[in-house]
Amino acid sequence: MSVNKRILAVVAAIVLLGWPWLTEDKFLHHIGVLICLTSIAACSLHLIIRTGHVSLCHTAFMAFGAYGSVIVVMQLGMPWPVGLIAGTALAAAVAAVIGPIVLRLTGKYFVLITFLMGEVVRMAIIENSWLTGGSNGIFNVPPPYPFLLSNRAYYYFALGFAVFGVGLCARLLTSEFGRAMDAIREGERLAECSGVPVIRFKVMVFVIACALAGMTGSLQAHYIKFVGPEAYSGFQSLNLVVMNVIGGMTSLIGALLGTVFMVTLPELLRGYVNLQQIMFGAILFATMAFLPGGLVELGRRLRKLLWGRREDAAAAEAGARAGTRASPQAS
Amino acid sequence: MFNATILGQVFVNGVSLSAIYILVALGFTLLFGIMRVVNFAHGEFAMLGAFALFHLIKDYHWPWLIALPVGVVGVALASLVLEWLVFRWFYQRMFESMIGLLGLNMMIMFGAVLLWDVHERNIPSVSSEVLMLGDIIVPVDRLIVVIIALAALAGFYLFIRYTRAGLAMRAAAQDLEIAETQGVNTRRTYKVAFFVAILLAALAGALWGQIYAVSPFLGERPLLMAFVVVILGGMGSIPGAALGGVLLGFTESFVGTFYGAAASAFLSFGVVILLLVVRPWGILGTPET
Amino acid sequence: MTRILSVERLSRSFGGLQAVADLSFDVDAGEILGIIGPNGAGKTTAVNLVSGVIEPTSGKVTLSGHDVTGKAPHVLVEAGLVRTFQATIVYAGQTVRENLLRGAFREIYPGLVATLFGTGRAREARGRADAHVEEVMRWLDLKRVEHSVASGLPYGFQKVLGMGIALAARPRIVLLDEPAAGLSAEETDHVRDTIKLVRERGISVVVIDHNMRFITDLCDRVLVMAQGRELARGKPQEVLRNPNVIEAYLGKRYAQAGH
Repeated sequence: MSVNKRILAVVAAIVLLGWPWLTEDKFLHHIGVLICLTSIAACSLHLIIRTGHVSLCHTAFMAFGAYGSVIVVMQLGMPWPVGLIAGTALAAAVAAVIGPIVLRLTGKYFVLITFLMGEVVRMAIIENSWLTGGSNGIFNVPPPYPFLLSNRAYYYFALGFAVFGVGLCARLLTSEFGRAMDAIREGERLAECSGVPVIRFKVMVFVIACALAGMTGSLQAHYIKFVGPEAYSGFQSLNLVVMNVIGGMTSLIGALLGTVFMVTLPELLRGYVNLQQIMFGAILFATMAFLPGGLVELGRRLRKLLWGRREDAAAAEAGARAGTRASPQAS
Repeated sequence: MFNATILGQVFVNGVSLSAIYILVALGFTLLFGIMRVVNFAHGEFAMLGAFALFHLIKDYHWPWLIALPVGVVGVALASLVLEWLVFRWFYQRMFESMIGLLGLNMMIMFGAVLLWDVHERNIPSVSSEVLMLGDIIVPVDRLIVVIIALAALAGFYLFIRYTRAGLAMRAAAQDLEIAETQGVNTRRTYKVAFFVAILLAALAGALWGQIYAVSPFLGERPLLMAFVVVILGGMGSIPGAALGGVLLGFTESFVGTFYGAAASAFLSFGVVILLLVVRPWGILGTPET
Repeated sequence: MTRILSVERLSRSFGGLQAVADLSFDVDAGEILGIIGPNGAGKTTAVNLVSGVIEPTSGKVTLSGHDVTGKAPHVLVEAGLVRTFQATIVYAGQTVRENLLRGAFREIYPGLVATLFGTGRAREARGRADAHVEEVMRWLDLKRVEHSVASGLPYGFQKVLGMGIALAARPRIVLLDEPAAGLSAEETDHVRDTIKLVRERGISVVVIDHNMRFITDLCDRVLVMAQGRELARGKPQEVLRNPNVIEAYLGKRYAQAGH
């Protein structure tokens, strides 16, 4: 890593670790928790997007995790870790079953089918109120551990999981596995003919991503102490997509930037809910129309603008060298 | 349970639902077939059509038969601004259109909330009379809705079949490059197609608002229905939209009456999901190579 | 001579159209086989059938003794057969190095478990990747454009890069789909020389093209296809003189005139 990046990483680490002590405001601690949890959801969705599929039902898997965990804890009287595992496992299981079927669909059909599936899950939650509490949801969900009562304590708890979740995503993306994912996205045929078992990879990514979503669902439910169907609607799934789009769909950092942006902006525009939504809509439109690479591409373009001349010269030189000596030395 | 009267009622409901669904789906499928755009904001234009009708009647006291065409055409004309500002960046860019127009959806929906607040409003009935066909009750204003919808569909059919603009649109939908070399003006064709699509959506919305109620969230259901219809019939296929609309309208009427709204929704969605898996190009669509 | 690839009575129809019918041929180690034919002869379909991109309606494909008929492309890569494409040749937005690293998947991917848990194995995989790609670049003389973005390269270089991606998977046999299509004379020479380099390493090559001269200058044996079937086979010069072949390409009059 370059020096600049190292400094940035250290600063980020300090801010992340010290956040609850940089301010006494409980509400800001709450925002910190939200950012930690939402970042896991956005980054896990990012994995799916990196294989070339945009899922509009990611929050449905959070719902599986949330409801699974809550029901196991409250109805079966199990301790929270069991609930967490149950919720995560449920989300993973559903993903493993439907993944091989829906991941064969291309771009627009995948978006449509996930959109519809998300709706079906939401309707199913509402219809089965004997289990899920229907539209009213389930109240008084207990926290994971009795000592996790303050926002500050929960922040470190959530941060730990966020480091795990986001770290897992980063690990996958920077490995040969990640390279194969990008190859699948950019040239599925080419990748397959280089030996990448495309469907198997897509399903593996999908299951891991949905398991992480399930995990996040459980963490979130036991934090807000409530589960209800509205938190897992297509609209909320869209928000996760927006975070990825704004940040830039081909970079994990983009997903993190998008998360911070989308979680904090509503707080800056408190009380103007409609304006927020209009603004998100406008950003979504503008990004897709003019800057599909998102904030990360914006950063790249700015860097090019400021330091571009050096990079351009190097590229031109390499191209010129390619033009001479057309044939290799065949012995 | 299954006696003639109720079945007759189901049939009448089915006709009115089908007609409106076809109207919404047609515009949606036009935009896809010609400009390769997935208009996630389609429902919002329906909502605007409903609000236009409502305001012209409630605030300007225009008679229904004048308010309807004026309001609907007005929405379509005004939307040409959006065509220039928003839509044209997404032509032939399907993926970007999906997400970008979702953004437009949010902008229009919450803009409407700001302008008009969230309360539901009702459009006064055209007529409170009722027609009796045997034992079947047919409210006159529902009948008028059906007649207008069917007239619009007929008009659309004639337009697409027998006018030069309609021919240009069909050519562009088939193969854009070839159409251009044959002299079709792409930009103008797009604008005409957009106008017609929004006109149909606004009309569908106005009729929907007449039957149900008007609110900024009116557009959600029509959008969902447009998806279902278009996936059933085949994206980009006009006969497909008609077929899909009829299937959905009658299924919803039948299943909804006997088994409840939730069952109807699950069935529709379930079938469409299944279709997407085994035959994503719909009943009348063609698979893309 | 070891038999690497054996294709027996391969057929594929699409609805009513018989795209490939009863195609049979063999390839031994270190051979260069050419498959030529006019456009629409079914050459690319044949390549797709052998490489697993589409399934045959009947027939058999055997690779080094293993039956791989109708298996998915990545299975064929495991068994030692790779192919290039006519249209999507490379990963356009990536550097040459990155393109080759992606092609080397089979060589360097250590598995999901190692990716998640094994820092040692993952690091080792990375080291192997770099060394392997270095070697491919030197072999194909791509080192000088190592960091150039593929879409910025001259078309001929992109074709060579496409071959490089295939070769990075350490195959025993490569199928090249129209490697010289759209190239200038100089670029065609570049591609031909590269193919000879590949054969020098003992890798078998099947070249599909419609350019007669390119094929005859390069291949040991030639198979001519027309309308999905074999029309003629043999040494390049024999095939060129075959009247059926001349008729297929140039029409009856030329064949009768004895050109």
